[in-house]
Parts: sequence; C-alpha cells; structure tokens
Amino acid sequence: MLLRVLRDDPAPAAWNMAVDEALLTLAATPTLRLYGWSPHAVSLGYFQRLADFTDLPSGTPMVRRLTGGGAIHHGDEITFSLALDTHLLPRDVHDSYRLVHDAAIAALKRHGIASSCLAAGELPAARPSERWCFALPGRGDVVTPTGKLLGSAQRRIVRPRPRVLHHGSLVVRRPGLTPFVASIADTCANADDRLEHAVREALVEQIAAALGTVPTAGSLTAPERALAERLATARYGDAAFLHAR
Amino acid sequence: MRPTDCSYQKSHEWCKIENGIATIGITDFAVSHLSDLVFLDLPRKGASVTIGESFGEIESVKAVSSLYAPVSGEVIDINKDLPDNLEWLAQEPFAKAWMIKVKVTAKSPDLITAAAYDAHCQAEG
Repeated sequence: MLLRVLRDDPAPAAWNMAVDEALLTLAATPTLRLYGWSPHAVSLGYFQRLADFTDLPSGTPMVRRLTGGGAIHHGDEITFSLALDTHLLPRDVHDSYRLVHDAAIAALKRHGIASSCLAAGELPAARPSERWCFALPGRGDVVTPTGKLLGSAQRRIVRPRPRVLHHGSLVVRRPGLTPFVASIADTCANADDRLEHAVREALVEQIAAALGTVPTAGSLTAPERALAERLATARYGDAAFLHAR
Repeated sequence: MRPTDCSYQKSHEWCKIENGIATIGITDFAVSHLSDLVFLDLPRKGASVTIGESFGEIESVKAVSSLYAPVSGEVIDINKDLPDNLEWLAQEPFAKAWMIKVKVTAKSPDLITAAAYDAHCQAEG
C-alpha cells in the first residue's frame, strides 16, 4: 500500500487546519502531510476556551484545531498530519499514538537525538501551565531530559467511514510563548535546516514503515483543495469558530 | 448485559424510543475505548438532529470523536449535568449518563438489536 506524502510550504494557520480536515474527510489513500506555519501561530485544542489565552501578545495569529488537547505555539517545528482509515492503525487509541511516537523516536535516533516514550509514573512534577500541550507530558509522550518534544492529538470520525486525523508537532527550536518545551536544538548543537530536513525525511520513512506502506510524493487532489479552500474561509478563518468556546 | 429495550448503532450510540421520544447515549463499549474523558459537547434544547449526522462531540485525553444521531427530530431535553460529571458515562452509560432526548420524526434503518450489537463489539474487539 502507498502512503501519499505531501510536503507543503509554510502557510497561514487557517489554511493548514483546513487542509488537514479536507484530508480527514476526503483522502482516498493514507496521507502524511508535512508543513510549517507562516506566520508562526498558536493553535488551540478543539475544546479549549479562547478566554484562557487573553494574555497572549496582541496580534498573535490563532486558530482552533479539529483535534483535541492543549494549545501549541507553532514556531520552528516539524509539523505533520496523518489522515487514514481507522483500521490501518492499532485499534487501541494509546497504541495508535505509540506507533507514531515510536516512529518519531527512531527518526530522531537516526540523527543522534535521544528521546523516549514517557512511562506511567514518570510524569515530571513541573507543569508551568496546563493550557499548553507541551506543559503536560503524559503516558506515552515523546520526551527528552528537558521535557516534552512531540505534541500529538487526534480527531476520529465514524462517518462516512471510520477515519483518524493524527496531528504531530516536533519541536526544532523552542518557541517564544512556550519556553518550557523540549527541542531538538537542546541536545543538538547543529540544529540547522539541513538537520531539520533530514529528521523530517527520516520521520516519513519511519511512519511509512510502521504502517507497512511505501511513501510516495503526492499533492492535493482537486476536490481536496476545493474543500480546503472552503474550510479555510468558512471555518478556520472565521472568528466565530475561534470564539466558539 | 446491554439493555434489550434499546436499539444500537455500530458507531456505538444507543437509543431507547418510548411514546415517540428517543433517549440517546453512548454505550459502555464506546466509553471503554475512549477512556479518560475530559469534555462533552451536546446540542441545545430546541436544536434539530438528523440521522447519521453529528449531534455532539466528546474528547478523551487522546482524541476528539463525534457522536452520531440514530434518529431525526427536535432535541427536547439534554442531560445538562453530564458534561460536569463524565464519570457517569463509565458508571451508568445506559441510565444516568443519557445525553439527549429527541422528539422523533424518523429513525435510522440501520439500528440493530442488543444481540447484534454485542456481536458487532466482539468483532471489533
């Protein structure tokens, strides 16, 4: 089976989230998308209250995700989304996370970056702010000695068919609003663009292998792009959606 | 043993229809697979729901999932205390943890019996 791989240029937050929902809804083949954020932005978990973020600097771009969990300041990071039929992942939700996390750990290890999955009972005491995804390492999260390195969240739908959207944010350099996160740069003095590219490609290989698929470069289909364009305006670019909670 | 006077959807909602009013919730199987529930969003009283479309959303620590309506009609009541007491879903999914009551105008043709739903859950693991 093929794993379609989309390598997208950095884009505004609303577009990024719109494309991911379009892939969840329409992608006919398993799809791994890698992208970035321009400008850098804060994404809120689906259920989070905007009122809890009024202290952010004025003008901070914000978007509400379709996936749950805590907020993320998306800066210099490797962001990815995986959209596929539910049956292609382990049935247990925790196991499905583990598949992606193990792939990330292997990709990092290939480039000399040590990380591990947090076991139950190893939860760090320091939790600077629980509204942020990276402030809350949980069982199975990818961590380094300095903290949580990979943020993950999922959206699951049953209709029209059982599907999963898995979001991942692998931090390359610490973003300004969440300096407590771990980053590749913490443990790797040469965290330059070349290393970032290499880790990204290793991540593609490892996720593809974990799914038993062959990675193949692709692009959005016309219906996916059309849906993403509608969602970017009508949902993710709409203040009413951001202010919904 | 799941209630035999309820009908079920393969997407793990249950539905009990009495005198044209459907009481709707999610099953023990759904609750056990979601685990660690943190948020529940239900429609407002007076809202319309449509067969097969989302009537609410639930978040566990690891995933947001949609809840799918087994009937069409008007929401005439919601379990307003449930979002603040999500532990009820694990304790009494078919009773105290009901979610919404709907004045039914149509019911899904895909509803199945408790026995068929049990078999479906066994197949899903």
